[in-house]
Amino acid sequence: MTLLNCLILAFVLFAIGVFGLLTRRHLVGMLISIELMLNAANINFVAFAHFKAADATAGSLFSIFVIAITACEMAVALAILITMYRRHKSLDVNRLEDLHD
Amino acid sequence: MILQNAILPDILLVLFPFIVLALRIFASKHEKLQWYAANIVLFTVFIWQNCLMLGNTQIYLSNWKIDTFGIFMREVFVLGSICALWFAKDYFDHASTGKARLKEFPEFIATMGFATLGGVIVVSANDLITLFIGLELATIPMYALTAWNKKDSEGSEAAVKFILMGSAATAFELFGFSYLYGFAGSLNMPQIATEVAKNASSPLLWISVLFLISGVGFKLTLFPFHTWAPDVYDGAPTPVTALLSVTSKAVAIAFVAVLVFGPFAAVQQTVAPFLALLAGLTLLAGNLGALKQSKLRRFMAYSSISQAGYILVAVLGPETNAKFAIVYYLFLYTFANYLAFFIFGIVGQNRKEDFVSLRGLSKQNLTLAIGLVVALMSLAGIPPLAGFFGKFHLFFAAAETKHYALVTFAVLNNVLALYYYIQVLKAAWIDKPEVEPCALQITCRQKAAVIILMIGVIACGFVPMLANNLFAGLKF
Repeated sequence: MTLLNCLILAFVLFAIGVFGLLTRRHLVGMLISIELMLNAANINFVAFAHFKAADATAGSLFSIFVIAITACEMAVALAILITMYRRHKSLDVNRLEDLHD
Repeated sequence: MILQNAILPDILLVLFPFIVLALRIFASKHEKLQWYAANIVLFTVFIWQNCLMLGNTQIYLSNWKIDTFGIFMREVFVLGSICALWFAKDYFDHASTGKARLKEFPEFIATMGFATLGGVIVVSANDLITLFIGLELATIPMYALTAWNKKDSEGSEAAVKFILMGSAATAFELFGFSYLYGFAGSLNMPQIATEVAKNASSPLLWISVLFLISGVGFKLTLFPFHTWAPDVYDGAPTPVTALLSVTSKAVAIAFVAVLVFGPFAAVQQTVAPFLALLAGLTLLAGNLGALKQSKLRRFMAYSSISQAGYILVAVLGPETNAKFAIVYYLFLYTFANYLAFFIFGIVGQNRKEDFVSLRGLSKQNLTLAIGLVVALMSLAGIPPLAGFFGKFHLFFAAAETKHYALVTFAVLNNVLALYYYIQVLKAAWIDKPEVEPCALQITCRQKAAVIILMIGVIACGFVPMLANNLFAGLKF
């Protein structure tokens, strides 16, 4: 287990997240993809803190803060999803076409 | 000496949302109370910040930095909140343009207060954790505000688009931060700055810069990432649109300035061509997009995209001038943008928010029509209005580091911008209304706000502001 392994894992996770965000058409699926991207960054932080950084506490702390903040963000996202479902009766992003040029 | 204590207004601003919410819970019978309390607190904070002495940097608890740029940016954020508060009040008093009356005003004020606080945290951050928390605190309330009107299907659609784009941008930024941490081994900004100066060609650094630029590109609506903005601005309730176009944009610009003149100061001129390209494309995309709009809010969205491009031009300049130009322009932008929004809000109360609704405005209400000229000509940068001097400083900062091509391009774009701003004025002054327009209802508050903002836009061009704070050095 080296730093490079962890970085590759994180990068692959991030790439899967981006791919999911672009291909998924269901809102919950897209939120999960975003969650993957955020957690890829967390792995990076922890890996750098463990293997490389001069200031190791800061990196681990950052990942804990990220988890908390992401939880807030997802709470708001789910609340918005519920209003969206009530208005549109669907969670498919292709149905979001009221606003356009 | 209490007036000179720089951290006390920040603490008051932290307490602000909680004061409003507490009044909502414990004094729910007095409906006006929260509105008065919010005004009192925000004006106190604003005046207090104007009393602070400038020029010295203070650091509290190793990561709360208060410097001149920070104090000015705080003033911009608080000013933006005050304007938004006044502007939003009417949308909670009565319905407008077919949309239902907004509800839960105290919660709205508190949410807005959190977003303002987020901006303040961004400008005072001295390490990456604080910076990230500030950025999130400034964005997450905006998602909630966009969906404030739960009955409105356009609002929820806009909020869904906004939160998907915004969280993806957050993920990109965070990934950039993680590489930056791996590169420097520390989250402290001065330490990162020394690392960057020592080791400027490390691939980790450049990957991180790439991710950070694409992340902030979303928030600042830079060219390839700007497509969400018109939809969100169009679907959100109008006061939220105003807040998004001023506070949210100011936070994103502050974030760029904090990074470029903080950790990345050593590589600023290496990143510059890339930023110049983004700024140029953003200007062009915003201006071309605005040309064909007929809805007022969508038009303001494209206008604010191009304004973001203009402000980004200044980031290429030397630190002191660039920061001065950015702060000065943000002040004017706040005044001019809110002036335009107040007028659109008054017009949009009983009519559709469309160019057609503006017809005959000069006959109906001369003050509003003149206000519209002042706001839009200032945004377009016509002398002697303040916008001209603001843009002059922005371009001057970039010209000092020899980015002549970008400056020329930006000035040429200004001509394009003038065309579509004049289109709006043509609708208000020259076009004849097809049917007799319904009467405008203006409250005293709106009239006062329009006149004060008009004076602000004109006065900013002549008063040597930003030389020092308004009441600096006041002893108490």
